[in-house]
Amino acid sequence: MLANQIGHYSLILGLLISILLCGVSIKDFNNTNKQINQNILSLSFLQLVFVIVSFLSLIISFINSDFSNETVFNNSHTTKPLFYKISGTWGNHEGSLLLWLLVLTLFIFLFLIKSREQPKKYRILTLLFQQIIIIGFFLFVLMTSNPFNYLFPIPSEGLGLNPILQDPALAIHPPILYLGYVGTSIIFSSSLAAVAQNYVNKEWGKHIKKWVLVSWIFLTIGIMLGSIWAYYELGWGGFWFWDPVENVSLMPWLTLTALLHCIVVLERRAALTSWVIILSITTFTLSMCGTFLVRSGILNSVHTFANDPARGIFILIFLFALIVLSVGIFFIFHKENNKSSNDFFWLSRETSILINNWFMMYFLSVVLIGTVYPIFLDVISSEKISVGPPFYQKLIVPFLIPFLLFMSLGPRLKWIKSKIENKNSLIITFVISVILTFLIIKNLTTDLLFYTILISAAFFLFFTTLKELFIKKFNNISQTISHFGFSLLILSILFNSILSSEIITNIKIGERYDYNKGEIFFKNIEERKESNFKSIIASFEIKNKNGKTIELNPEIRIYNQPVIITSEADIKTTLLEDKFLVMNLVKGNEYFNIRYQIKPFMVWIWISVLLLSLGGLMSLFKRKI
Amino acid sequence: MKVLKIFIILFIVANFSELKSTEANDVLKNKILKNIRCLICQGQSVYDSESEFASSIKLIVDRKINEGLKEKQIYQFLREKYGDWVIFDPQLNKNTYVLWLLPLLLFLFGGAIIYKKIILNKNNKI
Repeated sequence: MLANQIGHYSLILGLLISILLCGVSIKDFNNTNKQINQNILSLSFLQLVFVIVSFLSLIISFINSDFSNETVFNNSHTTKPLFYKISGTWGNHEGSLLLWLLVLTLFIFLFLIKSREQPKKYRILTLLFQQIIIIGFFLFVLMTSNPFNYLFPIPSEGLGLNPILQDPALAIHPPILYLGYVGTSIIFSSSLAAVAQNYVNKEWGKHIKKWVLVSWIFLTIGIMLGSIWAYYELGWGGFWFWDPVENVSLMPWLTLTALLHCIVVLERRAALTSWVIILSITTFTLSMCGTFLVRSGILNSVHTFANDPARGIFILIFLFALIVLSVGIFFIFHKENNKSSNDFFWLSRETSILINNWFMMYFLSVVLIGTVYPIFLDVISSEKISVGPPFYQKLIVPFLIPFLLFMSLGPRLKWIKSKIENKNSLIITFVISVILTFLIIKNLTTDLLFYTILISAAFFLFFTTLKELFIKKFNNISQTISHFGFSLLILSILFNSILSSEIITNIKIGERYDYNKGEIFFKNIEERKESNFKSIIASFEIKNKNGKTIELNPEIRIYNQPVIITSEADIKTTLLEDKFLVMNLVKGNEYFNIRYQIKPFMVWIWISVLLLSLGGLMSLFKRKI
Repeated sequence: MKVLKIFIILFIVANFSELKSTEANDVLKNKILKNIRCLICQGQSVYDSESEFASSIKLIVDRKINEGLKEKQIYQFLREKYGDWVIFDPQLNKNTYVLWLLPLLLFLFGGAIIYKKIILNKNNKI
């Protein structure tokens, strides 16, 4: 009750501080002092405190199961474990927007602290642009999605949280992902400020690269967490479904990756200034679009949130205003620097980075068009089409071949003008990759030629980066580790998809099922009662050809609030393969439907993404460029 | 030494080739089911779904495979019955030219920009 009031008023105070901050900033902007006005920092901190208070109030309302709060009533229940009461705070629309606000205010405060060496006017402008975004979000929260709406009469029990969201990976997935998403807002604000101040140069590149890296690392880990959750919680054994919500998180990642590479050229050669700004604007726009597409319920997706057109329209108008503002600033203030630094020799590091950007933009266009086109078609002609995994695979996978080859060669080139060194060792590496690939997959797949070329390209990158790691005595280790991680990721995904096998059957207790590789024995089931669900835990013995037995215990949970039946897979992970077993009830008889999957190299997919982010982390803490 | 280790691991991998299921029909069936949208559940394929609709589609696909129909023919059959929306792999027709060709055009466009930037450079020496 009380927490509810405090939370609501903190939000309003936070909004007032935004307006105050804008006033103080504009006044200070024309002031001749070298240093930024101390009040600005204090106000920014105060704003952060108010949003934190507001966020904590919502958490307290959730912990106390205060059902006079509409958000708590809609998304919580007294029998929920404490951990999920807390994570339920951001597992819904209103709370997740409050989290957006929290990160927005946190990042601008950190930015002000961390940018003391930067020019005063540039810092103030960044703050102003960020406050415009923050005001927009405050209004959005207060007008369309207030997390502190009051319910009367007070319900005695809440509606509960969708059980598939009650999961540790998903509990930390939104905060991490939002740190990545919202980090792009700082890049957006600061690049607009830099354009307005004509400050798009090497120093700015060096300073903003840190923010790009921070966002990129969080976004990478955030996407991975979502993927891990989908893998074991949705019970289908897949980890990427090309679902619109997944695509929406992948799009900013692609532009952010392009930006990360582009910034390197900027800090080296002060070239590509316009392109860096365009990428910064695009990245943030895509993050916002992501929020819009997911939250407005426009998308048919496994993520179902409340559908409310008013919210969609608000975000659309707000987004449109931001785009107009940024494009306007770009065209009015942006000056191309002298032509000479924009001259690129055909064989050089700069060109290879341009090629990286070229492919990233292509992948982005595939994902963007694939996600948005069905919506447009539906609006324009009422024709419904589905764009699913086959579309993305057809358009993306073939392009991975040249992409991987360029990625193997690009980082070996020098700046400005280069020639390819050690041609022989490269050719030998490539030949080894091809032979190795052929030997591995010659009797695995029908599409031999295509897969040989594709996997060879991935192996080529794998070996070249590996050689760098061991021979080149840590020349540019962060980049090499990231690229090595990427090659490992592609290899794991490819082998995983080629080598996966599965058995689907109906089976009852005490039965044995023989398949060509061994047998599955359904020993027994036991029932358990937890605070908010009943569970049926089965025990299966799976024997493979050479007599090795493993036991797997998949679960079926029947949640009480809301009443939903979920299947919890049991997974045995080894370095070589995951064994994945999930079962479902079959209506009206004693049989259970089981799905047993062998998924090779599954764990390497996660390891390689961690390596990818590790590279970013090392780059962040590196002293020299 | 490291290289040797990797080779050993890879050769172990090479022996996994027997993992491939001999039941080609089952593999084909699962591939097809993954490409059919469940019309009842949001955003799930028939393969992932447990709904009544999905079960009946599974039976239909099974029967069609046993009748000896090819993958494409099965999709065609379902399209006629439920409309284009049911298949995750959009056909190339007047509705989807933009969908399939626009990304490729953009790729060519990007290539042209880079080509221009570099070719222009060949003329003036650095």
